[in-house]
Amino acid sequence: MASRALAVWQNRRVVSLLVRRDLKVRYQSSILGYAWSMLEPLAMAGVYFFVFGLIFDTDRGVPGGADAPGGYPLFLISGLLPWLWFAQSLGQAPNAIISHSKLITTMRMPREIFPVQAVAAKFVDYVFTWPVLLVFAAALGGRTSAWGLLVWLPLAVTAQLVFSLGMTFLLATVNVLVRDVERVVRILNRVLFYSSAIIIPSALVLESDRFPAWFVTLFQFNPLLGIFKMHHAVWYPADAPGALVLSTSIGGAILILIAGYATFRRLEASMLKEL
Amino acid sequence: MPEPVIEAAGLGIRFSANRGRRRGLREVLAGLRRGSRTGRGAFWPVRDASFRIHRGECVGIVGKNGSGKSTLLKLIAGVLIPDEGRVEVRGRVAPLLELRAGFNGRLTGRENIHLVGSLHGLSPEVIDARFDEVVEFADLREGYIDMPVRHYSSGMKVRLGFALVAQLDHPVMLVDEVLAVGDEEFRQKCYRAIEGMLGEDRTMVLVSHSEADLRRFCSRGLYLKNGALALDADIDTALRAYQEDLRAEGEQRGGTARGPAGADTPAGGDQAA
Repeated sequence: MASRALAVWQNRRVVSLLVRRDLKVRYQSSILGYAWSMLEPLAMAGVYFFVFGLIFDTDRGVPGGADAPGGYPLFLISGLLPWLWFAQSLGQAPNAIISHSKLITTMRMPREIFPVQAVAAKFVDYVFTWPVLLVFAAALGGRTSAWGLLVWLPLAVTAQLVFSLGMTFLLATVNVLVRDVERVVRILNRVLFYSSAIIIPSALVLESDRFPAWFVTLFQFNPLLGIFKMHHAVWYPADAPGALVLSTSIGGAILILIAGYATFRRLEASMLKEL
Repeated sequence: MPEPVIEAAGLGIRFSANRGRRRGLREVLAGLRRGSRTGRGAFWPVRDASFRIHRGECVGIVGKNGSGKSTLLKLIAGVLIPDEGRVEVRGRVAPLLELRAGFNGRLTGRENIHLVGSLHGLSPEVIDARFDEVVEFADLREGYIDMPVRHYSSGMKVRLGFALVAQLDHPVMLVDEVLAVGDEEFRQKCYRAIEGMLGEDRTMVLVSHSEADLRRFCSRGLYLKNGALALDADIDTALRAYQEDLRAEGEQRGGTARGPAGADTPAGGDQAA
């Protein structure tokens, strides 16, 4: 395992080359390029603000109270930008290996490169969304803290990277052998969106007595819940995850990576025969 | 005796008959229950192959279509993992299984040279230094190098691919029927490039249906028959054994009138693999 990680590291130039190729090809073919990648989260934020903020003018439970700096709009944007990173990683995960079948069957290189490259490319996209987030934070009067920037943000990003990588290894491998994966992913995308407290503050579930205790516990076992609570906690300290949520998100991310990579190694030989 | 560059021992790989078709979840679950993972339709494209190839040798693999030649080459290249036995290659390998491998149609020729060169393990400095040679060898028309590769003709793509490959300095080259591309003039250029490579004491394994190519470059031949290594000898002996088998088969099938021409002649350019 260590030697394989080393092999990927030695091929990091290839990884960065493939990432840059992806970005180049993508931004080359559309005139608006970068603007497109920003339009989707902003449109989504607008829609959710319209529906939940204006139409259902209910208690939205923004962490830190209704007067928290940034309010509901910043809560939406600070959740949606990392969410789109995750959703796009998940969406392309099944194709991370299949789409490179030609390279894999003709070039000699560690096959781990391709899932890693897919995750890295989406991460670069996410980094590019930061200027927009900062503009909105400034305009909406959001406030962050040293704790938020130095603890929650790196932790959230690392956990999300680990989780996405594990998912990509798992889905990319299985998708070579079985063809239902893409459908599963579509459903998963929807379910995880609403169960990871992206647009709905998690307190509405965790601190509500409308749900049975087992459901609230189950809700906290979703690793993404903690990851997105951390993303929110950068701007809303009150949303910082508790011990249980923190451990399920970090532990869950690591478990998924181990499971994903184990699957990849176990099925690698049969996968190569099918490509 | 120095260490062999390529060493295979008891090499074998198993395919299932419905390979290349992804199954639905239902089929997989049903298959697991019946335990048919090893059963129905499994076959061995290569089995029990053992050989050693030494530095500076050029070895040709001969055999009919479907006899496992390309599979054997892919096993040596490491793009397939054997189910039995092992294969070891000492030194960096250039697997030239497909000349257009890695080209992206939306990038320009220039960008593709950098991309594919890096995929083959060349450093940016080396690519920059050899860039002009590649372009000159490929003989592209004026201005094409900065056009997206999807606008190239297939011949241009292959020429660019070969031009790049000719600049690799890997000690081990695995070649699958990619020699002799383009028109007669370019073919002569390819031949000279390959002879140059062999002159540098590199090791080459070549899969080809072209008897002339095999005799020209190879000193030794491996004759594969139904996935088994039937003969490991000098290239003339291997080719003779192969042709004798073809003739015998032809006679068995339809008398001598049709001759081996009806079967799979080595000169035939058919490369379904």
